[in-house]
Amino acid sequence: MREVSRLVRRQPLGAAGGIIVLALVAVAVLAPRLAWHGPKEAGFAPYLPPSAEFPMGTDQVGRDVMSRVIWGARLSLYVGLVSVLFGITAGSLWGAVTAYLGGAADTGSQRVVDAVMALPPIILALALMAALGQSVNNVIIALVVLLTPTAARTIRSVALGVVASPYMEAARAVGASRWRIICRHLIPNCLAAYIVLITTNVSYAIVVEASLSFIGAGAPPDEPSWGGMLTAGIQALETAPWMILFPGLAISLAVFGLNLFGDSIRDVTDPRLRGGLG
Amino acid sequence: MTIAQALRTLAGLALLAALVAPAAHAQDKPRPGGVLTWFDYGDPGRLDVHAESPLVVQQATAGIYSGLLHYDPDDPSKIAPDLAERWTVSPDGKTYTFYLRKGVKWHDGQPFTSADVKASFDRILNPEFQSPKCGASLKPMVAAVEAVDASIVQFRLKFPAAPFLPSLASAWCRVAAKHILAKYGDLNQPEAQIGTGPFKFKKYERGSVIEWEKNPNYFIPGLPYLDGVKQFILVGGPTQLAAAKAGKVMLWDAWPPMRKTQADELARARQDVDIFQASINTIFLVYLNAQKAPFNNPDMRRAVNLAIDRQEMVAKALEGAGVPCAILDPKLSGDFALPLEEVNKVPGCRQPKDADIAEAKKLVEKHYPGGVDIEVAVRAVGNYVDRAQLAIAQLRKIGIRGTLKTHESAAGYAAWGKGDFTLIATQDRAMDVNDPSGVFHIAYTTEGGSNYGRMSDPKIDELAERALKESNKDKRRQAYWELQRYILSRGDTATIAVAWVEGWFFTDKRLRNYKPGLTTYDNNTFMKVWISP
Repeated sequence: MREVSRLVRRQPLGAAGGIIVLALVAVAVLAPRLAWHGPKEAGFAPYLPPSAEFPMGTDQVGRDVMSRVIWGARLSLYVGLVSVLFGITAGSLWGAVTAYLGGAADTGSQRVVDAVMALPPIILALALMAALGQSVNNVIIALVVLLTPTAARTIRSVALGVVASPYMEAARAVGASRWRIICRHLIPNCLAAYIVLITTNVSYAIVVEASLSFIGAGAPPDEPSWGGMLTAGIQALETAPWMILFPGLAISLAVFGLNLFGDSIRDVTDPRLRGGLG
Repeated sequence: MTIAQALRTLAGLALLAALVAPAAHAQDKPRPGGVLTWFDYGDPGRLDVHAESPLVVQQATAGIYSGLLHYDPDDPSKIAPDLAERWTVSPDGKTYTFYLRKGVKWHDGQPFTSADVKASFDRILNPEFQSPKCGASLKPMVAAVEAVDASIVQFRLKFPAAPFLPSLASAWCRVAAKHILAKYGDLNQPEAQIGTGPFKFKKYERGSVIEWEKNPNYFIPGLPYLDGVKQFILVGGPTQLAAAKAGKVMLWDAWPPMRKTQADELARARQDVDIFQASINTIFLVYLNAQKAPFNNPDMRRAVNLAIDRQEMVAKALEGAGVPCAILDPKLSGDFALPLEEVNKVPGCRQPKDADIAEAKKLVEKHYPGGVDIEVAVRAVGNYVDRAQLAIAQLRKIGIRGTLKTHESAAGYAAWGKGDFTLIATQDRAMDVNDPSGVFHIAYTTEGGSNYGRMSDPKIDELAERALKESNKDKRRQAYWELQRYILSRGDTATIAVAWVEGWFFTDKRLRNYKPGLTTYDNNTFMKVWISP
């Protein structure tokens, strides 16, 4: 508790971000209990303005916007967390291992990373969605493809520093096997950077998912995607502005909170601020 | 006032009237010049009016071609001569002789003759040639087409058929040049758009614009009044509405119609337009694939027929602009349509829907105790995606869990044609002719060009054929009533009539002599339209 209150005093913005993230997670987990209606339940009159019965109004097919925003938190968090966990983890392992192996393995893999990173991310994502088809899980696959090379490049640079350190040389000198060195020494010393990548890329993943759904290439239109809700809202901008307002606020708040939280995590775990690796 | 003053006042008023009247009269006189702007809801891609069925194709080429007959631009309810200046019918009603205009030239200067008519209709009527519009209408009726001489053509029918002339006058039954068909093999390319119509094909920029320019050698002197027509390719309701509000287009007369909310927005943005509600002779259908599970099972088809809430679809998806449940719309088909009071009592159409939903649930549970997951397909045009989401919500109540799959417009049609779907949540079918036979031969008969569900019922075929061949109006009406009652009582058809679609449209107040056709395809040639200053 003392440590927590010390952290809050040191990182007030991070704490605020953390509260927002906690709230987002709570809404996502408790969606079935918090939402008043199912996300695809269309039994109400369309284009109803916000009221006591529908605090965020209804949409063009008569669905409760508030329920869809709440369920959308679950979808966004699911997409954000799963894609980041798989993409960043895969990329981090790739970067760390190739950095240790060096030589042709490292050079070759970095050329692959260069090639993928040369493509504009949204174009690459669109091409993948066109090939895979519209579904929430395919959005995750597309995001994994986007995130993996970025993570590989970042963790590789951290790993190169670790590889050159004296204790790594000592481990080699005492005859530790290559994989023992990678698993017992290299990867744990890249964890800080890995955690920063995870926390800072969840918001990126949420924005990409919302963007893909907004242009009709992400989650299917009936899924409660915040981005997809913006698309439907644009068709009725004058008639029912609440259809854009509330999902837009949700995206903004989620990304704001995650960014604040992620920045704070980076500040706390950055060795330059902590006085070096232990 | 003295008498002299009164007389002077009267004289002054008379002089004023004499000066003003010609100017006012001149406003109503056709005025040459100007380019009409409107839009196509999608990119046509292929331009072969004989082989294609999407409205975007017909719109793109409407002014380029002429038919033997057409719907009178001055009175679209009447059939009028076009390339045929007159026609006769044999006493047995089976031979139609058309006397062609002389001196007509194709846009490339070649002379028009009966050989062009024969080449066009031999192509359309060829059993191996897929012609989902003109061919689908004429093939059941026409036995052969002969060129008697260079300016006379005869159509021999299999039986006296009341819909023959309305079908021939359809915007899809256009005459193409024999030498162009020989050169290109089809009419898909812009270079093959050589017609005898009031406009020449000027430009086609994929995804952007289609342009026509005035045909200075059109066979009706003085026409067209317009210098040209520009169709912007505008995909999506917001884009179309934005263009309308910005004054980029002068009319909205085709599919998809505006919704009420869009019409209200336009009315707030522009005071220089006339906005009106109308039917577009288009039926909103749901299709079930009767060739594969789960809808090769009649119980499952019946369940969907019961569960679809047509009234909710009209209220939400069409914003109240539509006639739910009717297979024929009384407003369009008159007394060929079953009375709506009778239709609205049929299972699937009756309200409230509790009994229908309960029965539908039992039918699904009988075959799929835990419910069933299906793919619900839809083309991403108009507000089809919204309709599909409503359909998914409705089917969820009976244990059918739908996952939405959207297709780009042309890709969707290709999928429907191949039977590559389980359920099509919505597909509007516009009637080619305002005749009761249309909807049955398009969507219900075994050979129907849009019988995507591929369900074959010999009784439907027999009843539709009988009604088509009946020349006595009362007996024809009875035949169509029997056909409608049979389809509704079957309750497990793979084609489900949800509603006849209506909507809102607008024309710029400067547009003169534009009269919407009885179908969404007719009177898109703009041959007699002009723009006032």
